[in-house]
Amino acid sequence: MIKEERLGQSEELIKLDELKPHRVVDLRGAVCPHPLNVIRETMRSLKDKEILQALCDHEPTAKENAPRFCKRRGYPFWVIEKKGVWHIFIQKIEKSQPRLQVVNVSKVFKTNYGKVTALDNINLTIHEGEFVCIVGPSGCGKSTLLNLIAGLDKPTQGEIWSNGNRVTGPGSDRVVVFQEGALFPWLTVIENVEFGLKILKVNPKIRRTLAVDYLKLVGLDEKFHNSFIHQLSGGMKQRVAIARALVMEPAILLMDEPFAALDVHTRETLQQELQNIWSESHKTIVFVTHNVQEAVLLGDRVIVFAKNPGRIKAEYEIDIPRPRRADAPEVFLNTKWITDDIREEMEELERKVEEVAYR
Amino acid sequence: MSRRLTRLILFYLILTGLWQGLYSLRLWPEYIFPSPVGVLKTLVAGFEDKTFIIGILISMKRILIGYGLSIVVGLGIGLLIGRVKLLDETFGSLVLGLQALPSICWLPLALLWFGLSESAILLVVILGSLFSIIIGADTGVKNVPPIYIRAARTMGAKGLQLYTKVIIPAALPSIISGFKQGWSFAWRSLMAAELLYVSLGLGHLLMMGRELNDMNQVIAVMIVIIVIGVVVDRLIFAKVENKVRERWGLA
Repeated sequence: MIKEERLGQSEELIKLDELKPHRVVDLRGAVCPHPLNVIRETMRSLKDKEILQALCDHEPTAKENAPRFCKRRGYPFWVIEKKGVWHIFIQKIEKSQPRLQVVNVSKVFKTNYGKVTALDNINLTIHEGEFVCIVGPSGCGKSTLLNLIAGLDKPTQGEIWSNGNRVTGPGSDRVVVFQEGALFPWLTVIENVEFGLKILKVNPKIRRTLAVDYLKLVGLDEKFHNSFIHQLSGGMKQRVAIARALVMEPAILLMDEPFAALDVHTRETLQQELQNIWSESHKTIVFVTHNVQEAVLLGDRVIVFAKNPGRIKAEYEIDIPRPRRADAPEVFLNTKWITDDIREEMEELERKVEEVAYR
Repeated sequence: MSRRLTRLILFYLILTGLWQGLYSLRLWPEYIFPSPVGVLKTLVAGFEDKTFIIGILISMKRILIGYGLSIVVGLGIGLLIGRVKLLDETFGSLVLGLQALPSICWLPLALLWFGLSESAILLVVILGSLFSIIIGADTGVKNVPPIYIRAARTMGAKGLQLYTKVIIPAALPSIISGFKQGWSFAWRSLMAAELLYVSLGLGHLLMMGRELNDMNQVIAVMIVIIVIGVVVDRLIFAKVENKVRERWGLA
């Protein structure tokens, strides 16, 4: 008995009995987080139009994470269950336009002590609806990369493409949520959220309605709408900052350590809500953090940066079903796995975490 | 609040009492040490025959024109040198240097240029307050957290919008402080300039008291000058400054 499950844009795919995989990988017995990472690495080595067959006995990977991986990239796929084993067929089709592309980007800063290479030849492709977390120690250039994507700074070398357009400056298709203190104290909460729309000359009535909607989405109580920023707690400020960014309807939401300054409890709440907002809005999110656990909890993909010079050290698909809880064993396992993998960089990170903890 | 007010009134009553007591000892002639009653009488008379009112109006007109021009010019220059590095390195140092010069030192220059005229007084008032206003605006602009500007830019603000919607509001507390300091310098400069010749303002009334050996008038005019200075500073500038600081979360 073959139980079929067809979940993809399979019109583009050849018929099932004609499926001739170019590569077969056996992932039976592999536990999370490995299966999806093997699939990604194997897909990378395939040529255009070639097909991968993966045998897998880990249900969340087969039924949820692999399909989502394929949808993000626009790869046609089949998932078939046969005697408790899932056969996943994926055809590699190179889409011409990912949401965001960072191509051979380097950034060199000139300082009094000479040149510092903040970023060295970064290549990165981010797909529609993907939640990508960038982790690295301080000084690894992760925030610099975010600034380059935002268009606030120009790369020394290389190009950045957003939805097929070359990035030459800031644009409201890429809005940034900063760590803290980026809300305007001279405006009330709701005026802050309306700021970007006002710049775009949106009609005041529509502006107000949109601002109210998004403040509701981020869960800020209505009684704070006319408060001033210094009257809010740290968590509420970040909610407003997220609303202020989302109201612009950006294609990509860039987040620069948005929860780093919050206490543990508030951070966990906001992490959960960000997951909800993401799954409702299907935004593409690039999230910079120095906390591996946070990256694993939130990201579809975690990109680890190393420093001197700033570069991509490793990349991981996070194969955990959503919604994820901070205390879920898979989150712990993935965190440990990544941490072990990048021990050297981690020691640097831990020092940073301690500094933050003792602040 | 009312307790504080009572204490204040009591303090001034005792002070006046001591003054009257000292006067009653008759240690000095009246033209050296006047009585509070005499000063009060002169004050009332001065307002009744309108000489004080005319003096106040003339001085107020001068300060409004001079200080107003100072605000327009100073704000413009200050906002520019706060953002343009070249101007800051050149013009900025000149402003700091000129700020060190007491404004009354401009009077000889003003007199040579304009003669004993209204323009000479205005020039001294303008130069008295201009540099404080420039420095206030310049400091404010320089201290705008860069993150505000970056946040605004990612939301699409650029060019002049950055100035009107972000830089000026963010710099406002410092700009107001500059205005406040500029006001008190302008007021001092005006009084000093008016002392020097027949100018009909409050400063001139003060000098007239001296020429007539009328110590009552000297003290009475001094009181008027103090009251105007304090009222404008406390009731206008301090209120605005506190309000802005509170709203900006600085208080």
